[in-house]
Amino acid sequence: MENVIECINLTHYYGKRKIYENLSFNVPKGRILGLLGKNGTGKTTTINLLSGYLQPRSGECRIFGQNVQTMDPALRRQVGLLVENHVQYQFMNIEQIEHFYAQFYPGQWRKEAYYELMKKLKVAPGQRISRMSNGQRSQVALGLLLAQNPELLILDDFSVGLDPGYRRLFVEYLRDWAHSEGKTVFLTSHIIQDLERLVDDCIIMDYGSILMQCPLGHINEGFHRFRSQLPERLSDVPAPLLGDKQFYHPALSLTGELELYSFLEKDEVERRLQAMNIPHGPLMMDNLDLEDAFIGLTGKY
Amino acid sequence: MFYKEWIKTRWALLLILIVTCGYVGYELLNYLRAIGAMGGAHIWIAMITKDEPMFVRHLQYIPMMAGIALACVQFFPEMYHKCLKLTLHLPCSHLRMMFEMLGFGLVALLVCFGLNYLILWLGMRPSLAPELYGKMLLVALPWYLAGFAAYLLSAWIILEGSWSRRIFNLVVMFLCLKVFYLSSFPGAYVPFLLCLVVFVLACILLPWISIDRFKKGIE
Repeated sequence: MENVIECINLTHYYGKRKIYENLSFNVPKGRILGLLGKNGTGKTTTINLLSGYLQPRSGECRIFGQNVQTMDPALRRQVGLLVENHVQYQFMNIEQIEHFYAQFYPGQWRKEAYYELMKKLKVAPGQRISRMSNGQRSQVALGLLLAQNPELLILDDFSVGLDPGYRRLFVEYLRDWAHSEGKTVFLTSHIIQDLERLVDDCIIMDYGSILMQCPLGHINEGFHRFRSQLPERLSDVPAPLLGDKQFYHPALSLTGELELYSFLEKDEVERRLQAMNIPHGPLMMDNLDLEDAFIGLTGKY
Repeated sequence: MFYKEWIKTRWALLLILIVTCGYVGYELLNYLRAIGAMGGAHIWIAMITKDEPMFVRHLQYIPMMAGIALACVQFFPEMYHKCLKLTLHLPCSHLRMMFEMLGFGLVALLVCFGLNYLILWLGMRPSLAPELYGKMLLVALPWYLAGFAAYLLSAWIILEGSWSRRIFNLVVMFLCLKVFYLSSFPGAYVPFLLCLVVFVLACILLPWISIDRFKKGIE
């Protein structure tokens, strides 16, 4: 499958603090890919590197096969960018901003897509963006992106500052547009439920590296939490459990219950626990939503 | 790009135009009052014998303040929430975008300052010899050049992302602008005017340094 985004061996530091080293990933054409990670794992750094507002210490980001640092300006017509906090020109009103952007995208600008969304906002056409709520501004930014009709959308934390209604509106509009037109979307959000409704694939970042990149279904269907009451109270998680790379973040609850996450089948987990000589009660397997799976993969801390 | 700059600055430009033309008008009124009170001959003699900029001295810092004000109105909104990212993401060469933004500001100042000069010229021409009003207009020229330089240097400072570098730039700006105010002796800058013009033109490249640093994520 053709890759729209290719990040190859990215290494970046802020001063002496390493953000990541030799990070590589691709985003295939026509997929909606969400970047998940705890605060400080480098999500916004990745967006900044991709949009060309940060120079990596080494490695390169390619969009449509071109290095973003030396990209042909005309190629930016095919890349829509949503800056964090839905930033737009505050000094313009709804009509002025549409008029301004339209000049840069001759032949591809879809004015009606923008005004269709603006109708839902019920704001006067002359209302300045600086006097709009966060939610209204997000719709202006989304409307402009839909009007631009790019092949690739890069969205930095699109759900920040939005109430549930606006978040849902944003997600549904974006998902319908991307799927119906075969567009590629690369996005981050700190609200994982939004990503669950929107993305096809996800990349889960841990400090300094990518934990995994896979279709969302792979996590939804294959990743589970296993719980079992231990017969005797332990002060620490048994050492063999910590050494098994197939078990994510094994922990003991306050009631002495063993909790661990894994892609393994229940029988295989049972077999491994027995092989490790860990006495335990009946093993319970829980299905997880993306947020729980994310916690399971990255840990609570 | 001009459309965006116009939307952003139109009211500020109107205010700058009113204030600068107001000051010029105030200087002209002073001049006309002096002519009325002391007579034209007395004023001519005073202008020939005194080595100081009569009737334009209050204008000294006005063009510089106009330049700084315009740069603030034009470039602070670009740095608010890093709005400059939106501008740099437009499908145009970054260099061209910067020149268009700066070009808009320079043309706006040129129109404003040109109008100031026109008012001075129209007001003094009926009662002064060309050599005398020419001398006054020449005295004010470095101050107006300082207006252009202040605009470009302010853009350089505002577009800079790092505070420590901004402070350094501010000191450099202060020192550079001092050059335009070393003397108000009539004719003192005549041999030096071309150098000042070249200096102002060279300042056009400074905001590019800030934009380049912004693109590299230096804060």
